[in-house]
Amino acid sequence: MPSHILELSSVTKSFGGLKAVYDISFKMNSDDIIGLIGPNGAGKSTLIKLISGILEPDSGEIKFKNQKINGLKTWDIVNLGISFTFQNMRPFRRLPIIANVMTSCMSPRAMKRGEWVKRIEAKAMDFLEFAGISDMALEKASTLSQGDLKRLEVARAIATEPELILLDEPFGGLSPAETELMAKSIKRLHKGGRFGRLHSEGPAMIIVEHKLQQLMKMADRIIVLNYGETVTECAPKELVNNKEVIECYLGKGAL
Amino acid sequence: MIAYYTKTLYSIIKNDVLVLPSRMLVFFFIVAIICLPVVSNDPYLLRIIILACIYAIFTASWDLLSGFTGQMSFGHAFFFGVSAYAAALLNRHLHFPPWASIPIGALASVVAGLIIGIPCLRLRGTYLALTTLSFPIILLGIVHAFPDITGGELGISGLDRICRSRIGTYYIVAVSMLLSIATMWKLTSSKFGILLHAIREDEIALRASGINTTRYKIMAFCLSAFFAGIAGGLYAHFMRITGPSTLEVALSFQVVIWGVFGGIATIWGSAGAVFILFPIMEFFRFWPEFRMLIFSFIIIFILLYMPKGLLPWLRDQVEKECPRCKKKNISFRKTCRICTATLG
Ligand SMILES: Nc1ncnc2c1ncn2[C@@H]1O[C@H](COP(=O)(O)OP(=O)(O)OP(=O)(O)O)[C@@H](O)[C@H]1O
Ligand SMILES: [Mg+2]
Repeated sequence: MPSHILELSSVTKSFGGLKAVYDISFKMNSDDIIGLIGPNGAGKSTLIKLISGILEPDSGEIKFKNQKINGLKTWDIVNLGISFTFQNMRPFRRLPIIANVMTSCMSPRAMKRGEWVKRIEAKAMDFLEFAGISDMALEKASTLSQGDLKRLEVARAIATEPELILLDEPFGGLSPAETELMAKSIKRLHKGGRFGRLHSEGPAMIIVEHKLQQLMKMADRIIVLNYGETVTECAPKELVNNKEVIECYLGKGAL
Repeated sequence: MIAYYTKTLYSIIKNDVLVLPSRMLVFFFIVAIICLPVVSNDPYLLRIIILACIYAIFTASWDLLSGFTGQMSFGHAFFFGVSAYAAALLNRHLHFPPWASIPIGALASVVAGLIIGIPCLRLRGTYLALTTLSFPIILLGIVHAFPDITGGELGISGLDRICRSRIGTYYIVAVSMLLSIATMWKLTSSKFGILLHAIREDEIALRASGINTTRYKIMAFCLSAFFAGIAGGLYAHFMRITGPSTLEVALSFQVVIWGVFGGIATIWGSAGAVFILFPIMEFFRFWPEFRMLIFSFIIIFILLYMPKGLLPWLRDQVEKECPRCKKKNISFRKTCRICTATLG
């Protein structure tokens, strides 16, 4: 039996009286892409934050490669091999773009002992090149457009050389053309292999997204959340015919 | 051999120093600091420059913590005072010579940095500023509570001189200043510096990069405390007395004012500000009623019109950044000296 890379068992998180995430369990393999969808406020971002250790679950257990990770600090989780992006991008605005990625290259996971600044800079440049914003490497991050900020987030996430990436709305606010490009990058990343000097093992992914059309093409499985609970978990093809899903998006009695 | 080194030195000066006004200024500043005792032996002048050197270390250490890392410290005198008292006690009661008591004082200050840093890890902004503000006041209370040891209001006096001769003292302080500033500047422009900047910008996002922000924040506290401690120890031995004034709130604010005036998150800016402001303040000493008034107006003016600080503002006037390679160029150049791109 192949062991699972990520295993959630009845994870729950409430904010005051609001159950943002309630009793969520799922397992994923090390080559899966899982799509996480649901209407606004369904608890998708909260779930990402729970896995990445920014928030701590009230109950339940999160296991990464058979190791319990809830309760660990965010940086420990990242160094174990999970990286993630923020839905509302959080770059270091007053630092050059390359420095934004260099911080990730300096995490204990990614950095070899005694690596020099020049080497780290070259590595960061590779990641920027992969994300397609290497030409602006020396500009301040505050000058980037929405789409390029999303790219920067992705570059930062892959710079820690993760085995599991959690992407929170990678296409949010992007134009159709930009979406297409980003989708291509993500697919390329998932397949793994060499991009220039960059080597990727093909990480597992959880993608939160509202643009279902793109997501359905990429994901192996879709998990639908509503009011913090799992509505259903199915293959992308089954989604269109699933009555519960349509109901939670359009409201009861829409059909 | 000597000819070779002279030639190398000459080419460095010609190719790397004389291309930018800011570098020229730093170069001439260092030369001036080194040559001053040769030109003038005026004890008053030397005293002012020595004090300016000590305060420059102190202000730069504040900049390291508050400017770079964004951990706003309004109680930086704590580190200064801890080290000054530690050096004084060691010197007075255990007869440690200055070359031992100053470094040990600085280490005491590092311990103080840990003591402050750990409770402050979870705080930021106003809460952090208020908490740091309270630490020197608490220590001041302790100083007054044990007058047998600390001398109470009078402080500990009769400490050893740093060096017998005035010139020797001057050089020890000046070289400590140059070394400390250079170390801090080097640290902050290395990869460690990037992490400090990133902590200021967005701590959560830095954690997402897999960086243990707690460790780096504590390191920033300790490093800052160490250099503030060097300044405190030098001060104690130079003045030959350590009193409650080293822990005063006024000193904590003074360093903030110097730092903001000179330009935060630069190290050189905040240190340079001391060399401008401190002599001016001393000059106006004969006119005490207006001293603070003039001073306040200067500060308000700077904050309003040069929000980056005086020295970065000056630098922007005489130098501009190449749009392509982001290297600085003297402002009348048409093309970049490195990448030959046209300058806007
Ligand atoms: N820090 C917080 N404090 C209180 N309530 C919160 C907090 N974060 C999220 N919530 C609430 O939890 C619920 C789930 O939020 P979450 O951000 O996970 O939704 P989402 O599925 O990501 O929505 P969207 O599609 O808009 O991004 C929402 O009702 C939100 O208001
Ligand atoms: Mg969300």
